[in-house]
Amino acid sequence: MATTVSPFSGVLQLTDLDDYIGPSQDCIKPIKVEKKLGKAAAKIHIEDDGTYIQVDKDGGSQKLEKAKITLNDCLACSGCITSAESVLITQQSHEELLRVLNTNKTSGSASQKLVVVSVSPQSRASLAAKFSLTPLDTAKKLVSFFKSLGVHYVFDTTFSRNFSLLESQREFVQRFRRQKEDKKALPMLAAACPGWICYAEKTHGSFIIPHVSTAKSPQQVMGSLVKRHFAKQQHLTPDQIYHVTVMPCYDKKLEASRPDFFIQEHQTREVDCVITTGEVVKLLGQEKVTLSEVNPAPLDSMFSGVSEEEQLLGHSGGGSGGYLEHIYKYAARDLFGIQVEEVRYKALKNKDLQEVTLEKDGKTLLHFALAYGFRNIQNLVQKLKRGKLPYHYIEVMACPSGCLNGGGQIKAEGEPSKDLLQRVERLYESVQPENPELNGAVQALYKEWLGGPASEQTRDILHTGYHAVEKSSATLNIKW
Amino acid sequence: MMKDSLTLLSRIPAHPDSRCWFLAWNPTGSLLASCGGDCSIRIWGKEGDTWVCKSVLGEGHQRTIRKVAWSPCGNYLASASFDATTCIWKKNHEDFECAATLEGHENEVKSVSWAPSGSLLATCSRDKTVWVWEVDEEDEYECMSVLNSHTQDVKHVVWHPNQELLASASYDDTVKLYREEEDDWVCFTTLEGHESTVWSLAFDHSGERLASCSDDKTVRIWRQYKPGNEQGVVCNGTDPTWKCICTLSGFHTRTIYDVAWCQLTGALATACGDDAIRIFEEELHSDPHQPTFTLTVHMARAHSQDVNCVAWNPKEPGLLASCSDDGEMAFWKYQRPEVC
Amino acid sequence: MLSLGLLWRALSSGGHEAREKEDDQQAHHRPEAPSRTAAAAMEQERALEVYDIIRTIRDPEKPNTLEELDVVTESCVEVHEIGEDEYLVTIRFTPTVPHCSLATLIGLCLRIKLQRCLPFKHKLEIYISEGAHSTEEDINKQINDKERVAAAMENPHLREIVEQCVLDPD
Repeated sequence: MATTVSPFSGVLQLTDLDDYIGPSQDCIKPIKVEKKLGKAAAKIHIEDDGTYIQVDKDGGSQKLEKAKITLNDCLACSGCITSAESVLITQQSHEELLRVLNTNKTSGSASQKLVVVSVSPQSRASLAAKFSLTPLDTAKKLVSFFKSLGVHYVFDTTFSRNFSLLESQREFVQRFRRQKEDKKALPMLAAACPGWICYAEKTHGSFIIPHVSTAKSPQQVMGSLVKRHFAKQQHLTPDQIYHVTVMPCYDKKLEASRPDFFIQEHQTREVDCVITTGEVVKLLGQEKVTLSEVNPAPLDSMFSGVSEEEQLLGHSGGGSGGYLEHIYKYAARDLFGIQVEEVRYKALKNKDLQEVTLEKDGKTLLHFALAYGFRNIQNLVQKLKRGKLPYHYIEVMACPSGCLNGGGQIKAEGEPSKDLLQRVERLYESVQPENPELNGAVQALYKEWLGGPASEQTRDILHTGYHAVEKSSATLNIKW
Repeated sequence: MMKDSLTLLSRIPAHPDSRCWFLAWNPTGSLLASCGGDCSIRIWGKEGDTWVCKSVLGEGHQRTIRKVAWSPCGNYLASASFDATTCIWKKNHEDFECAATLEGHENEVKSVSWAPSGSLLATCSRDKTVWVWEVDEEDEYECMSVLNSHTQDVKHVVWHPNQELLASASYDDTVKLYREEEDDWVCFTTLEGHESTVWSLAFDHSGERLASCSDDKTVRIWRQYKPGNEQGVVCNGTDPTWKCICTLSGFHTRTIYDVAWCQLTGALATACGDDAIRIFEEELHSDPHQPTFTLTVHMARAHSQDVNCVAWNPKEPGLLASCSDDGEMAFWKYQRPEVC
Repeated sequence: MLSLGLLWRALSSGGHEAREKEDDQQAHHRPEAPSRTAAAAMEQERALEVYDIIRTIRDPEKPNTLEELDVVTESCVEVHEIGEDEYLVTIRFTPTVPHCSLATLIGLCLRIKLQRCLPFKHKLEIYISEGAHSTEEDINKQINDKERVAAAMENPHLREIVEQCVLDPD
């Protein structure tokens, strides 16, 4: 019996499961063939090397092509995800990154690619914990390590998260203001977690989608920045850049592969390859490098979260990005003129379900919640269905404890995983929080690149859409 | 002599032209709920010497109802259906009304069970998960935990008779046990040994032992050994170890679909795909750590097709109900044979 | 009584196999024949009855019948008496290609059609012939799990496919 542990978040593992075909077996999309008159049935033989040969009744034979299933087929299908997994492993892995870097070394300058790596702050904290480093040292050593492999630029997705946060804030306020006319404007549900998005699209489709924030995730904002803005600056076309992100979660690979993030006219993705924190450790091992022993290199100041004093910057509100906290403070100020200094969380049934309330004169003005992990997602979806969900905004994340505990993070060795998670959380929170509204580089980009926060360009580039996945019906590969 | 120890009392076409999948006695033993492939639940009660259908719960599920379970107070009945939902029926005098529908499983719900406290409910499904639900005073159900430990279809869930300990049986050939840890549930041990699908489970009255039955045609008896036990069974931390102390093999000729341990007499009954009902008794002076069970009844052709379920009445010793693929339900009187 | 299966065999091939069958039949009726031979003859007749039901099932993907595709053959059906007028029917079928994702569907069709059409009391076991499929054991387990089969037949899409396949040609 196939008993393979999937690296994807629990939410994805639950989506219409494949009961008996292990990931080693390729997915086959069966096609119904109409009977042709007078044509005798052909036989199919299998050669020793596994190729399929069709032999007609008249003795003629032909080799049959294996139908290749692309990741897009997988994403569009409501069936299993095991095939998606094997496709991802070949298309998005540290080995694929090495292959691109090697091709760069051996090919002529015309076909060389500019390689950019964008590291998430969650991955950086996990690596810092593993190698007993400060987040700043980790960042500098990662720059040095990646550049030694032939990477040209190393960026930080903290920078692109400024855009995600600002766009989420504005979107919330707009939704709040139109809640009377638009019954689906609220609650607004966070969109940065691709596991949750995939689950929502595949199992609750058109019912949940209108509630999901359209603001792009930090990974995909960085994708636009690198492939659209940065490429132009470098006088390159988007496909001449190979963009890699380092993420705490496998589901981010699915996100990068969404057709919405494919630049059609240049036949390239905004993010070409996603590798997990754990895969960075594999890469270090393969190169026989211990991160702590690497000489630090200066951070690339463009698209990074560094202050003028060379201190790392981050965002307050927890390891999943701080969406709730930023939206809450902004909305309190913008909608009610209330300045919130400290956000007080109230734990509910479990640690992954917390709420925040803004009250004035005994009246609830804002009611927000954090809901992490599948069980809490379940309850929120069911309550939303019954119209019993009291919140205006929910920061939804597929993993229990959020992104710092993502499936792609480094696993504990010789210490309880709870203790490791606590160390990672402390390291993550040790960086100086910044207010995205006050980031000069971000403001400049809004002005110069996007034509202002309200422009069409901003809406096009910093927002995305979701698509309900229809349950497959007529196909022959229904799992039972 | 053996045949005389199990006497047929009556046979009823409970779910005609369909399968009868499962039976459940209410806690006082006065009502029996049956469910089947006709998407209905029937409630049976005794009038004089005959069992009559008191009510039919027809609306609620779109597909087969696989199992039903009474709450410990007897006022609620939960039903698990292939339509991916679990319904909670509230008893209102003679009638039942659907008080809640639990959604969330991706596909067929195979089993449902109430914890002894009545405030927790467990369900399991082909989607490989076991869910623990919490009930509040307003009959609102919230999902407390989604347990992903099994690698295949989960066939059965059952709570320990007096502790908050949950057991599940699966198509992946294993049995898993769960307990609460902080604000979540965790699988603390996996019972391996069966060579095919484990179809059902039954605790004995003390909860010290668990019987499992399987497609491998055997019944296994597992016993709990707490840390520091005199027998020297190794435990992992503070969790007990569940060890297989007895395997009943060679008795059944096809898949065993159900096992029931009488809480009053200790007799162990099985429902088998060879149409037979069998009853086993533990030998009087057998070693509790290596017990011997004797077959006391082999009722061949107890039904005309596979027997799906056996259920001992919780109050009347020896009263056994069974049901089958032929849609029928039968009541039996069991008398432990005199030791020869 | 000549079963439909025998009738069909006699009409289509007229071969020696059918005649052999008739001999067996006669043996069955001879009172002095050893009972084992009679039982074997009965089993063989039952096997043909089974085969006659399954041979016309259509492949879910191709326009042909399972017989035309050699997915089932006469020799893939075995019948044994396990009780008074009760038989164990074992079918070993061969999917067209070892990766055939439709093997479970074929198994489902076999089971459903026999469940509906087989006139004698029986227990049914369906397997993939050894070595014919890369996930043989998994498929064998699935198509012999009556709960999974029952649930599959309540899925309207699967049911539609199966109904199409088991529909009698005329």
